[in-house]
Amino acid sequence: MVAPGQGGLKLARRRDRLGAPLTWLCGGALAVNLVLVAGLIGLIGVRGFGHFWQAPIVALTLDDGTRVLGEPWGVEEIPESAGATRTRIKTGNRDVTGRDFVWIDDAKLRLREEPADAVVIERREWGNFYGTPVELRHDGQEVARGPARVLDSLAAAHASALAEFDAIWALEQGEMASLNRRLEELRLAERRLALGGSGAAERAQRQQRIEQRRAAVEREYQGLASQVADRRQALGADVLVVRTIAGDMREIPVAEIVRLVPANRLGPGGRIRLYLERLREFVGGEPRESNTEGGVFPAIFGTVLMVVVLSLVVAPLGVLAALYLREYAREGAFVRVVRIAVSNLAGVPSIVFGVFGLGFFVYTIGGTIDELFFPEALPTPTFGTGGILWASLTLAVLTVPVVIVATEEGLAAVPRALREGSLALGATKFETVWHVVLPAAAPGLMTGLILAMARAAGEVAPLMIVGMVKLAPALPIDGQFPFFHPERKFMHLGFHIYDVGFQSPNVEAAEPLVFATALLLVLIVSLMNMVAIVLRNRLRERYSTSAV
Amino acid sequence: MSVPAALARLRRRRRADRAAGWLVRAGGAAIVLSIFGILGFIVVQVLPLFRPARVELALSIGTATGQPRGLLSDPWAEHVVEVDGDGRLSVVRVDDGARVAEASPLGAGVRPTAVALARARDEVALGTADGRVAIAVVSFEAHFAAGVRRVRPRIEVVESVVALPGASVGALSLQSLASGRLLAAASPAGDVVLLRLVREENAFTGEVISRVERQNLAATGEVVRLELDDAGRRLYGVRHDQALVWWALDAPDAAPAHVVEAGGRGAITALAMLVGGRSLLVGRASGAVEVWFEATRDGQPQLLRARVFDLFDAPVAALAPSRRHKAAVAASVDGDLALFHSTSERTLWRGHAAVRGAPALVMAPRGDAFFVASSADVDLFSIDAPHPELSLGALFGRVWYEGYPKPAFVWQSSSGTDDFEPKLSLVPLLLGTIKGTLYSLLIAVPLAVLSAMYVAQFMAPEVRRLVKPLIEIMAAMPSVVLGFLAGLWLAPRVAAILPAFVLAVVLVPVGSVAAGAGWEALPARWRRHLPRGTEVVFFVIGVLAAARLGFDLGPWFETTAFGGDLTGWLAGTLGLPYDQRNAVVVGVAMGFAVIPIIFAIAEDAFENVPSNLVSASLALGANRWQTVTRVVFPTASPGIFSAVMVGFGRAVGETMIVLMATGNTPILEWNPFNGFRTLSANIAVEIPEAPQGGTLYRVLFLAALALFVLTFTVNTAAELVRGRLRRRYASL
Repeated sequence: MVAPGQGGLKLARRRDRLGAPLTWLCGGALAVNLVLVAGLIGLIGVRGFGHFWQAPIVALTLDDGTRVLGEPWGVEEIPESAGATRTRIKTGNRDVTGRDFVWIDDAKLRLREEPADAVVIERREWGNFYGTPVELRHDGQEVARGPARVLDSLAAAHASALAEFDAIWALEQGEMASLNRRLEELRLAERRLALGGSGAAERAQRQQRIEQRRAAVEREYQGLASQVADRRQALGADVLVVRTIAGDMREIPVAEIVRLVPANRLGPGGRIRLYLERLREFVGGEPRESNTEGGVFPAIFGTVLMVVVLSLVVAPLGVLAALYLREYAREGAFVRVVRIAVSNLAGVPSIVFGVFGLGFFVYTIGGTIDELFFPEALPTPTFGTGGILWASLTLAVLTVPVVIVATEEGLAAVPRALREGSLALGATKFETVWHVVLPAAAPGLMTGLILAMARAAGEVAPLMIVGMVKLAPALPIDGQFPFFHPERKFMHLGFHIYDVGFQSPNVEAAEPLVFATALLLVLIVSLMNMVAIVLRNRLRERYSTSAV
Repeated sequence: MSVPAALARLRRRRRADRAAGWLVRAGGAAIVLSIFGILGFIVVQVLPLFRPARVELALSIGTATGQPRGLLSDPWAEHVVEVDGDGRLSVVRVDDGARVAEASPLGAGVRPTAVALARARDEVALGTADGRVAIAVVSFEAHFAAGVRRVRPRIEVVESVVALPGASVGALSLQSLASGRLLAAASPAGDVVLLRLVREENAFTGEVISRVERQNLAATGEVVRLELDDAGRRLYGVRHDQALVWWALDAPDAAPAHVVEAGGRGAITALAMLVGGRSLLVGRASGAVEVWFEATRDGQPQLLRARVFDLFDAPVAALAPSRRHKAAVAASVDGDLALFHSTSERTLWRGHAAVRGAPALVMAPRGDAFFVASSADVDLFSIDAPHPELSLGALFGRVWYEGYPKPAFVWQSSSGTDDFEPKLSLVPLLLGTIKGTLYSLLIAVPLAVLSAMYVAQFMAPEVRRLVKPLIEIMAAMPSVVLGFLAGLWLAPRVAAILPAFVLAVVLVPVGSVAAGAGWEALPARWRRHLPRGTEVVFFVIGVLAAARLGFDLGPWFETTAFGGDLTGWLAGTLGLPYDQRNAVVVGVAMGFAVIPIIFAIAEDAFENVPSNLVSASLALGANRWQTVTRVVFPTASPGIFSAVMVGFGRAVGETMIVLMATGNTPILEWNPFNGFRTLSANIAVEIPEAPQGGTLYRVLFLAALALFVLTFTVNTAAELVRGRLRRRYASL
């Protein structure tokens, strides 16, 4: 209570003195939030985009004469030392030394060079190799010697080896895989025959036919397999001999090389080209080395496909439910309760939906489908295990409240006058809803849909239960009939982050790739959310003047 | 258009309208209801956990062998083997009561003085008055003939040894191990002897060598009952004065007997081992069954009485443990029966069998049936108890698990072996959930509420429009990304920056106040020319400078306050061991996830405080801050409350951050510097391995149900509070 007079004014002033700093404290809290957001995005951005940048290769000579070749990978203070620092060097050569990184005590460093001949070789297996090219051999015969010449002649050999490697891969993934599938189909047909109730004579006859076909397919398969083996053998003829900094010689088959980068000879243009090439490989390429290297294309594909399937399910359901709640149901206690419940359902933890999806979609529905339509494959489940369809449906259940709420908001924002005008012109209720209200509320639906898609793209916990795998052998869409395989397992960007970051044997080496994946995911999700925010704001503004 | 045609068209449109209306109503209602079907489905999955056991008399067959001294069952409960008082083994087919095999291992006319059964391998040992022991094996071979499965039982006498030369075998126990058989025998004179009947096969010649290793065990009086554990590591016995004695057979020296004083609890009338070979069941004349096991207490291994089941009024006559669960059937001399489970301390079922004389019992190997036999007949009871190991006590109370010195809250759902005792206490998980939520709210609530207040009350609208989407982007950050950063980037650095972090908690507020003061100190002329919102830049600079200062002073602070080693200081002085992935890391990461949620609702509540209230307050001479604390905050406080509730709901169910940024160890500690396991992370970790329909599966569904109900309730409460607030605003 502020008493009148001098004392009261003083009191008020004293409170005022306290007031301003407390206001500033609130400002500080906001600043902390902004710093956190900016810092987080900055961290992911720098680390994620930095992943593709080729740093120069350094050769370090230490006090005791040991030499180390690799890329500098950050400096830190040595714990419990007075300001001494150490540098982490990515030395690669996992197959030689058994590890990817070494720590170099900066105080013990005697010499630091950037040898021009040093190259980094990205390999299909064993990670990067750091060293100097010595010789290129074909069938044990020297083709070129000395770093410069080797690099020159390698280009052509590498290109042809890559083409051949891709051809073999295509053969394996294409014809051989399809033969394999036919063998599996024959096995299932045999099982079906054993389960089915046909007569003994007919059964024997069919069994014979299956045997014949199987023999033919197996013959064909053997032919292809030996052909592939021969071509593999031939592919191994080109060998690059390299020397590690310690002086050890190593032979690397040219076909095993993904990319050879003479890092210290690259000009700025070369570096940028390399950067873009790596970026393209990351977005469009297949993963290597149990996902810790190479691209994330299958994960992107899986995420996008899942989101598309989800939106096909969620959009009609959400619209129908919202129309019912807003336009058709009689406003009352029931609708109010339902509305609150639906909006709160969006706050139920996603893992709960995962558990539901596992119990309901995978085990109950999937298990029933298996029993009815795929008894011959049991006990191996077809639909009775996690797959892209179940994952999409689980996330659809998870996100349908989001769509319902947003669509309802959109419907509510349509002014009454618009509806009344349409009705007054003689349109039926449905015609009004369909031709007038819904189009006007479309931004609301779109907002909800995009929010749902963004949530689904970033959600991992329920998917861990209902359908994701580390490494899916085949995409859910391919050239095999019926082209879309809803029962297949798939890869997902978010799960990729969890898996590579926490389950892979070599987390340290994989960390940069995880940052890049995280960046990609954050970009996708943020972009979708921003579009949704803009749409929603536009919707709010559109009717803010005309509404009551 | 002619009039009839127009009318027809009108009718068509009306029909279409009506049809569409029904379609939308039916479809919409179905969707809304099926969303709630989720809850129903989860409940249906959970309910069987609490279904009472059903035990029914399946059939009853007559016996003619007289009083049985022991029973065995084949794996399918299709045959029962009776061992009668004359030392005869007879296999009876359950279907028709036919005796399909018979043998007298001791020879005709020799009555056994002691009988022991090794149920895991269907072996019977019979001891005689002259110290001899014969061992017989019953095997059940299943074979298919013309699509029909037939079981052919066979009885084979495999060993006959002299266990106690010149003395009568008074007590006997047999255990069959991979390395051979183990036989313990006691004489009325007080000798206890352990025989290892070792069978070794020469790897080259295939020749089988049998040899008997004999070990005399020290006893202090006559031992009237003996029981070997499954692994042959312990031998338990009952002395004539009803004291429990036990020998550690795996100890290096000649195993002295440990004696547990009887304590006047009455005579011991039955002994049996639960599956796993750690819990000893002791049946008393008082009708009680006690569960004893060994645990280390005060640095000594001791046999402890963990729990007591008061089952009957009459003495316990027989005990038959299950081979699947820590459950057993007990029978009294009057024929009263009880099925109980040790871990859950549940007496699952009580019943009665019409028996004459002391009954013998055996549980079928699959645990789905048991036989009761007396001189009159053999009864087969079927058991339907899918989740006997669960009770509310096992889920939420302290449970005394095997090998533990005292009751404890433990979550340890599975291990490599079948005879493992599942420990399904939800308490460590609930505590972990609360711990994670608490630490994240500690970080999120002040930051979110204060900044919401600033944005809503002190910020120019055009700046507000720029800041709010930034925080909304924060909300969209996938939790897997936050978890990854927390687990891989932040966690290894926290130990190093902890002193700086502690300093920053103090310095950042100081820095922001200093920044505000700096802004105020600028001449009003300058401030007018700067674009609106520049003060935010000042605050950011102030906060960054404070954080920087904290980092620079961190090493000094660590040296002066904590002796240069904060983690060591925490462990040494406060007794808080430090884990790399700890609750502080989770608090920061989950706080980041929760801030935008609290912010959005709190900002809404602050912003919608009716402007006439604010104007009135200002007009009465209150300054901006007074208005905010005295008018705005009290008015909006239900909204703040609701914001915190929703934030709580989000933090409770968050899975990925916790999964990735803690060690996921289900421990019971509030220490902010070690890990924990939440309900949600536990589901994610364990449900892929949980067999469908099993106890663990259903318990995880129960955890999901708990999360569902908790968050739904909290969110609904928050929504109701907000609704009331909106109505109040509208009326003001």
